[in-house]
Amino acid sequence: MKRSLLFTLSLITTLMLATTVFAEEARNFFKVGVVIELSGDLATGGNVTKRGYDLWAQEVNAKGGIDIKGKKYQVKLFYADAQSNPSSGASAAERLITQEHVDFILGPYSSGVTMAVAPVVEKYKIPMITGSAESPLIWTNKFVYTFGTVPPVNFSGATPINTLASLNPAPKTAVILGSNDTFSKATAEAFKAAAEHAKIKVLKFNIVPAGQDLTPLLSAVRGLKPDLIAFGGHDEELIKMVKSLRQIDYTPKALLMHYGVTEPAFVNALGKDANQVFGASVWTANAKTSSKILWPNAASYAAASMKAFNTPADYTQAGSSAAGIAFQVALQKIGATPGMSEAQRTSLVKALEQVDIDTFYGKVKFATSGQYYHANVGMTPLTVQIQDGKTVIVGPANIKDAAPQYPMKAWKGR
Amino acid sequence: MKDKIIRWGLPVLFVLIAMPAVIHDTFFLRVVTEAVMWIGLAIAFDVLAGYTGYLNFGHGAFFGLGAYTTALLMMKAGWPFALALPMGGVMAAVAALIAGFPTLRLKGAYFAIATWALSRAVQQLALIMDITGGPDGMRLPPFLNPQFFYYLMLAIVAATFALLWYLLEHSPFGLKLKAIREDEQGAMALGLNPTKLKMQAFILSAVPTGILGGVYAYWITFIDPASTLGDLISDQALVMVVFGGMGTLIGPVIGAILIFAFKTLFWAYLSDFQLLYLIILGAVIALSVVFMPNGLWGTLGGFKKKKRDHENKLETSLEARLQKNEGE
Amino acid sequence: MELLPQALMDGILLGGIYITIAIAFSLTYGVMHIIDFAVGEWIMFGAFAGFYLNKWTGLDPFLLLPVVFVIFGLIGCLIQPVIHRVLSGSKGNPLLMGLVFTFGLGLMFQGLAMTVFGFYSNSTPSMFSEGSFFFEKFGFSLTISTVRLAGLIYALAITMALHYLLKKTNFGLGVRALALNKDSAGLMGVNGKRTGALVYGLYVGVTAMTGVLIGCILSVSAGMGPQYTIFAFFVVVLAGMGYLAGVPWAALLLGMVQSIFLIYFDPGHTLLAVFAILYTILLISPKGLFGRGV
Repeated sequence: MKRSLLFTLSLITTLMLATTVFAEEARNFFKVGVVIELSGDLATGGNVTKRGYDLWAQEVNAKGGIDIKGKKYQVKLFYADAQSNPSSGASAAERLITQEHVDFILGPYSSGVTMAVAPVVEKYKIPMITGSAESPLIWTNKFVYTFGTVPPVNFSGATPINTLASLNPAPKTAVILGSNDTFSKATAEAFKAAAEHAKIKVLKFNIVPAGQDLTPLLSAVRGLKPDLIAFGGHDEELIKMVKSLRQIDYTPKALLMHYGVTEPAFVNALGKDANQVFGASVWTANAKTSSKILWPNAASYAAASMKAFNTPADYTQAGSSAAGIAFQVALQKIGATPGMSEAQRTSLVKALEQVDIDTFYGKVKFATSGQYYHANVGMTPLTVQIQDGKTVIVGPANIKDAAPQYPMKAWKGR
Repeated sequence: MKDKIIRWGLPVLFVLIAMPAVIHDTFFLRVVTEAVMWIGLAIAFDVLAGYTGYLNFGHGAFFGLGAYTTALLMMKAGWPFALALPMGGVMAAVAALIAGFPTLRLKGAYFAIATWALSRAVQQLALIMDITGGPDGMRLPPFLNPQFFYYLMLAIVAATFALLWYLLEHSPFGLKLKAIREDEQGAMALGLNPTKLKMQAFILSAVPTGILGGVYAYWITFIDPASTLGDLISDQALVMVVFGGMGTLIGPVIGAILIFAFKTLFWAYLSDFQLLYLIILGAVIALSVVFMPNGLWGTLGGFKKKKRDHENKLETSLEARLQKNEGE
Repeated sequence: MELLPQALMDGILLGGIYITIAIAFSLTYGVMHIIDFAVGEWIMFGAFAGFYLNKWTGLDPFLLLPVVFVIFGLIGCLIQPVIHRVLSGSKGNPLLMGLVFTFGLGLMFQGLAMTVFGFYSNSTPSMFSEGSFFFEKFGFSLTISTVRLAGLIYALAITMALHYLLKKTNFGLGVRALALNKDSAGLMGVNGKRTGALVYGLYVGVTAMTGVLIGCILSVSAGMGPQYTIFAFFVVVLAGMGYLAGVPWAALLLGMVQSIFLIYFDPGHTLLAVFAILYTILLISPKGLFGRGV
């Protein structure tokens, strides 16, 4: 019996030791929690998001910090890996809140993890802005403490279809495919709704298993001879899609995908075959934005990104940096200092709801009601196209940089 | 044996029950809750893998099935959690009954791959059905009471452990399963009914897993096919069981605690080195198989195995002699 | 109906890829009784090897295949003794031990690849990747992508080469003897250790070459491994574990099922169909399509 008593005692001591609570000292910097996918299937996107948050923190600190009533407070990021898994995301948020006592949270890349993190930040009343998650479902759940700077896909997906519909001769028929994950499916559905609205006949609409080789399906699509092929998917799937189309040698008049085409990997992997592919985005390095906060415009942000990471910035990264800016502005407005009380955090949410600012990223303004509740609806969605290896804005007509190249040049002889 | 489990088990249980009263850190409680869940998943997995010798790569499917059953009944049929949760276990039992009958005829690798295929099919089904929300998953109403989930998880896992302890270590049932593992034909010759026994083991493994899935769904408040029906559950349970020691009950518990603690500590304090984590975990698994083929418990314990060890020694020396012959 | 030739052709071409993924894997199982969870990671490493060698030398990836084979063959030979140790350990279930060991290896490889190669997807260019053959007669039309055809030819060549190696050479005789009965083979003068190492090296080399092809036909990324592991497992099990002659048929069946489903049924159900069919076949014929598995 003696041994087991000792065992019990040692167990208890271990438990006590494991949870020694460090006293919270007054600090002169903001603790910013970052819940992102640093590992697992979604690590690619998670790391892009991380770069966005990092760049924001770097820039803020280089300028001395956030100016609150004449005193400058630095920001310090505390990361927690969501491992591309909702339950790890929830644990990550809980750890940042209860152990690190963060002031506010910059949120995950993916919609799934965001959905599991949102109830946790709701419980502790910690405001969170995600710079990337863009599934429409997050916003219909109406989480009070969750915001997002990237507009939902059903907000941005219609623009490229409308641009294409305004061309002469406009595409008359379309085949729309989407990979079976939250983001891609919503993208495909947004494309479909917009196409039907623009009187483009949808010959075929399919949601396909993620990662599946689509060549046989595209062979069938070729028989339908659609003018437009639109596809919702992620980076690797987009590359495979273009390669498959080239392998069966079918060139539609227009090939449309979502923001994945603006990722550097797309052009790097496909070379000249990436040219003339259309995409949807809300931000590119040549977007015409102007701002008084941190970076004066998109180009200067892109340059800063090149300098810091040697990687061109895409719109996920830009949206993530903009999430930091939104917090910064709201904090200044309520004059909150680090170590905020619950009342201050609640007023921070109010302040975020009133945010209406021009940033390098574009206008950030969160909806306060309806299906886009707390998503950023200040942006103008863009139609982009890869032209000579560069992402160029080709629509809407009033802000385009170049005319869309249409119809698409055949794969052979490029 | 019985005396031993009471002497060691009761203090542990006492500490676990008293813990939330002493420690108010909700994050810590969350981590322990999840650790307890993994203990449950690992011992349930071991019923089939360790005791019966059937490697079930579809273990995660029962977890997901329980999670989805509970979620669907609560969200679509408006059932209270207290009723929806047992249904998760019932559904897992029914699924085990339906799938087990044909699948358990398969042996070795064929069984492993067949269960894997089946679990993949279930995942695909959840991805394409409307009622499950497809890839978007399902959201449950948040009930954010950490103590509730801790005690619920603890109760389920402790009950499972006690039941398995009784059935596998203190009744003929466990010996019968081991007989099947060692030699199925021989077991039949002894008058055992392997089909029935394997079926019972399969259900015994599935039901707690399904119930834990139901608790998980309500606890995390969000489930989707990737996180509840993916390979993660089966893979991790397998690793925990093998690391701790297969075919024992204590082994998987130790494996679950150590692997989960390593994972969590690395995750919490070394987040910047996440890729290193994969490499280290992989290396630990590979090395432990090379140097501790009996798992941690089996290697350190080395209890009650003298006879088998002796046999093994004979076998290895025979093999060594053979190999020496080959070399020449 | 006019799509049928195309559907069949696409199925065959897709099957060709699966043949190459699975054939050496099946051989290794037959000889060493190991289910290698890291098979997809070898494909991934092969794909990256092809990608970088092509980038540095400018040579076509198809010309680089022998180089990749030699490099990875050596790596395989070096790793095999460790695996042998795991499999001949004192624990009762060596199958499981091998599985867990290679699962650990796979995790390590993934972590390494993500550290070294980063997260982005790539693609290996080849002289074959541009073109395609196009036929049109009697209202039917058929497109055959050159690079996929090259992949199929490679798959058949590898199958023939392995067949020749096993049936017509002394080495093959030893391998077959070893697969049949380890102890007797040893008594008959087959050097089990060396033969095992060579077989494993052969397997790793062939699998890495397959990776190069997949890089040309599909894509290259650090996370690409597991999806091919699944297909390798399925083809090998469908063929009957270790039954080499079954592999091409099982691979073609798998390719055909996918192709037919993508074209004629709801494409969203393709993978569901693949898994359901695999499961059903195993129930009907527990030792693979031909009942010849070990």
